[in-house]
Amino acid sequence: MEQSELMVRRIKEGTVIDHIDEGKGLQVLDALRIDGQDGSLITLAMNVPSGKSKKKDIIKVENKFLKDDDTNKIAIIASKATINIIKNYKLIEKRRVALPNEIDKIFRCTNPDCITNSTEHIESIMDVIDKEGMVLKCRYCARILDVSKVKYN
Amino acid sequence: MNEFFNKDIISIKDFSKDQLEKIFTSTDKIIQLDPFQRREICKGKTLGYLFYEPSTRTRLSFESAMASIGGSSLGISDISSSSTQKGESLADTVKIMSIYSDALVLRHPLDGSSRFASEISDKPVINAGSGTEEHPTQAIQDLYTIKKEKKKIDGLKIGIVGDLKYGRTVYSLLYGLGNYDVDVRLISPESLRIRSDSTYDIKKNINFTESTQLEDHIDELDVLYVTRIQKERFPDEEEYLKVKGSYVVGLDLVNQMKDDSIILHPLPRIDEISTEVDNTKNAKYFKQAEYGKYTRATLLGLTLNENGF
Repeated sequence: MEQSELMVRRIKEGTVIDHIDEGKGLQVLDALRIDGQDGSLITLAMNVPSGKSKKKDIIKVENKFLKDDDTNKIAIIASKATINIIKNYKLIEKRRVALPNEIDKIFRCTNPDCITNSTEHIESIMDVIDKEGMVLKCRYCARILDVSKVKYN
Repeated sequence: MNEFFNKDIISIKDFSKDQLEKIFTSTDKIIQLDPFQRREICKGKTLGYLFYEPSTRTRLSFESAMASIGGSSLGISDISSSSTQKGESLADTVKIMSIYSDALVLRHPLDGSSRFASEISDKPVINAGSGTEEHPTQAIQDLYTIKKEKKKIDGLKIGIVGDLKYGRTVYSLLYGLGNYDVDVRLISPESLRIRSDSTYDIKKNINFTESTQLEDHIDELDVLYVTRIQKERFPDEEEYLKVKGSYVVGLDLVNQMKDDSIILHPLPRIDEISTEVDNTKNAKYFKQAEYGKYTRATLLGLTLNENGF
């Protein structure tokens, strides 16, 4: 385990989301709808030194093992993030986030005239049409999303 | 079973070239049918329409098309007199309308509205204009007109002029043209250029150039597609006034066109084509409106009959 990860206490069981771009930790929590309401212990470390003059955010969620379907949703926010599954203080699985084929619910379409931004009850769905280029298209209005401007639900 | 039976018509992108050609062949057939035979196609069927934006042409075109194939139409064309004014959601209105009708035509100011409606309705939904997104039945009508009047679509040079930012017919036409080998000239004021967030598919499928000068291209075009500046979609009147009247196609321009070139317009026109052009052999926009009735009758006939017609 890296020195930086030891800045916050080790967890016995749970998920560590590492290598989140600095300052994006809160957005990641938001996107994963992790708010601590269920009583689980959550640690967020921001601006943790990582390598030469670089910083990163780290999230540790105790007693929760996040699955691909959940964590891949954050690929658009933190494309370099790694997911570490910890059991009995041991790293038993390490994976990178990867854009899924579609991303639902977590953010709104950037087109203000899209029906998903109206008063109708619709959950947004974005189709990932180019994973490498990170090109997302709203399934409803068919506009290409400006990834830098997405607003989270 | 015919492949169009019970299918929604939301985007022209949902149609392959083969399917478009099948629709054109069926339209040829419907035109040739004896009016009495034609009236058997949708006898006893009801078309429901919901127009959340003003429309005369498209609504009447659908009504006329449905009547010509023996069906009836009912719906709301003046939303101010409907329960929407009382706060009813689009979802509820669509649900109710799908009880009363066999197919549903929707025009709505928001992008993606028809796709949403199709998820709510258990009857096929036909998009008659969704915000600035699409107007697929207009594009089918436009492509059919080109095919009939030019005898082909492949190999043509097509100029699209006017409001390319807000004009939904432009997007549907471009998506539809993506099935063919065409050269496209997009001509608009700088502020009304085609939206970059809608060109992903267009760039993949079509060779096009953008310019502001219609005069530079007028003599090379086989088809000139003129669009109205969409006043109602401008955020403020001042912006509209800046570009109003940017292009006016008059006899001076028509005289520079190829002899066998055609001029199309989705209508209504304001001042972008002078009335003096109406009587030239190049003007095909009224013919285009007539074809619209037949292409819509074809789409309704195919959507509502398991075995086609």
